[in-house]
Amino acid sequence: MAAVLPVGSDLSGAMNRFLKTILEKDIVDAVLMPMKVPSGDSFAWIIMSDSSIVDDAEAMAPVMPVQGARALRSLTRKGEGSIRVLALMRPCEIRAAIELSKLGQVKTENLILAAYDCPGAVPMDSFVSDPSSGEDLFRKMLAGEDVSAGEVKPSCTSCVEFSMTDADLHFGHFGLGGTEVLLIPGSPKGMEILEALELPADRETSIWDEAVRKRREKQVASRDAAFEETGENIRGVQGMLNVFADCISCRNCRAACPICYCRLCHFESETAKQDPNSRLDSAVTRGGISLPADRMLFHTGRMTHMSLSCVSCGQCSDACPADIPVAQVFSFVADRTQKAFEYSAGRNDGDPLPLRSFMKSELSGIHEMVSDAEPGGHAHE
Amino acid sequence: MPDFHPRIIGFLCNWCTYAAADLAGSSKLELPPEFTVIRVMCSSRIDHNLILSTFYRGADGILVAGCHPGDCHYGEGNYYARRRFALLKKVMETLDLEPERLELRWVSAAEGNRYAEVVNEFTDRIRKLGPSPIRTSTRL
Ligand code: SF4
Ligand code: SF4
Ligand code: FES
Repeated sequence: MAAVLPVGSDLSGAMNRFLKTILEKDIVDAVLMPMKVPSGDSFAWIIMSDSSIVDDAEAMAPVMPVQGARALRSLTRKGEGSIRVLALMRPCEIRAAIELSKLGQVKTENLILAAYDCPGAVPMDSFVSDPSSGEDLFRKMLAGEDVSAGEVKPSCTSCVEFSMTDADLHFGHFGLGGTEVLLIPGSPKGMEILEALELPADRETSIWDEAVRKRREKQVASRDAAFEETGENIRGVQGMLNVFADCISCRNCRAACPICYCRLCHFESETAKQDPNSRLDSAVTRGGISLPADRMLFHTGRMTHMSLSCVSCGQCSDACPADIPVAQVFSFVADRTQKAFEYSAGRNDGDPLPLRSFMKSELSGIHEMVSDAEPGGHAHE
Repeated sequence: MPDFHPRIIGFLCNWCTYAAADLAGSSKLELPPEFTVIRVMCSSRIDHNLILSTFYRGADGILVAGCHPGDCHYGEGNYYARRRFALLKKVMETLDLEPERLELRWVSAAEGNRYAEVVNEFTDRIRKLGPSPIRTSTRL
């Protein structure tokens, strides 16, 4: 069941008004949402306590410059704040924030996480080069019009969690023809907001449910196709080397990733440095090696470090100057590793992080003395 | 491949498997010369990057071995190690990086015979698999 927010002419505007109201009525003390930068070619996260500033903000931005969970982390990594902040973000940003809260990097006690039905994002590079076309494109995406897949951020075309995360409050608008938004509470915190506004959650959500279900079906099909293609491309050492052939080791992918929060990444640490002669030995025995070294180690190492928490947000691909489909590879691997542990990144269902928990009796296939032991096995038996 | 001599690294827990290796040695059991032992304090000391770098530096096979579940000297290290290991296996399997070149086994300090069996079996497997494709790559 949900409460209803009427929409005048403009969906995003109606959400802005709602946020303004909860600020004015002191239901929350501040709101974190995107605002267009003065040059008009990007958006920045602004945390605002003054409701008049909300007018200049944008509930749903066409682009995703900084992953919202990174913004939240910069706010609360040293502890929870003393005022109540509502953060309105894309579902993948909310899921990353939930992962970061499990990792102790975001404190959610005084945060109200709000998400909306996300139609996808416009890739950063195309938006920067032509913001007004980018905004037109995003309006079409919001209205549910067909746009060509090539214009949308690649991860968004195969995103299956575009709606209904474990947020405290969800703004559902798919299938409602732009005339209303459903305010769907996902927790007592979300419910309290509706109660404070005296908005009864008495509306059936079946039309919206059906629209989400239909869209998910389509998205699942395109994700499966993307996985299949990626799976083929990265097969074996040679496949990985080909996909990452253009990598310049700038590590932007890691910098943009919401999950990679380590202050000192292993790959920057003393441990990762090697004696020159060990590199030279490799060069001599193999006939040659490529420098800077450890490109494959970096990517496969990062995969093992964070794929269990990857939310498939696509920021790594967006940040890559060499146009490598980093996110497609990471999402594919993440899908497999998360399934192996029956874990789903970004859920608030009480499942602990797989590497921080264990069961005494599990994964029995992997350590027995049989050569054909099934790799991976199942974490929960 | 008759003259292929693989390079195999065994990361052995000090408290169990390393002692088993000692026992196997002093019992004069036959052990393959291609198997190089590195002693670690617990199977949970082994992180993914250590294994991956060992492969990238040219290992044809890697065996991680520690105390049986329930017997870890530090209590629960090997339970966590097992999860990490399962994750790394999954990544290698997904990328088709020949996950069969990596194994985890439990061998207690008293199991000298089992140690010899495990090591010989694993070494045979790697001999059959031939050199790791990573070992010869120049573009890592
Ligand atoms: S952002 Fe692209 S070029 Fe830079 S390290 Fe990542 S994959 Fe390589
Ligand atoms: S690896 Fe890429 S897709 Fe996954 S969470 Fe990080 S930035 Fe997002
Ligand atoms: S001490 Fe042997 S596995 Fe932990």
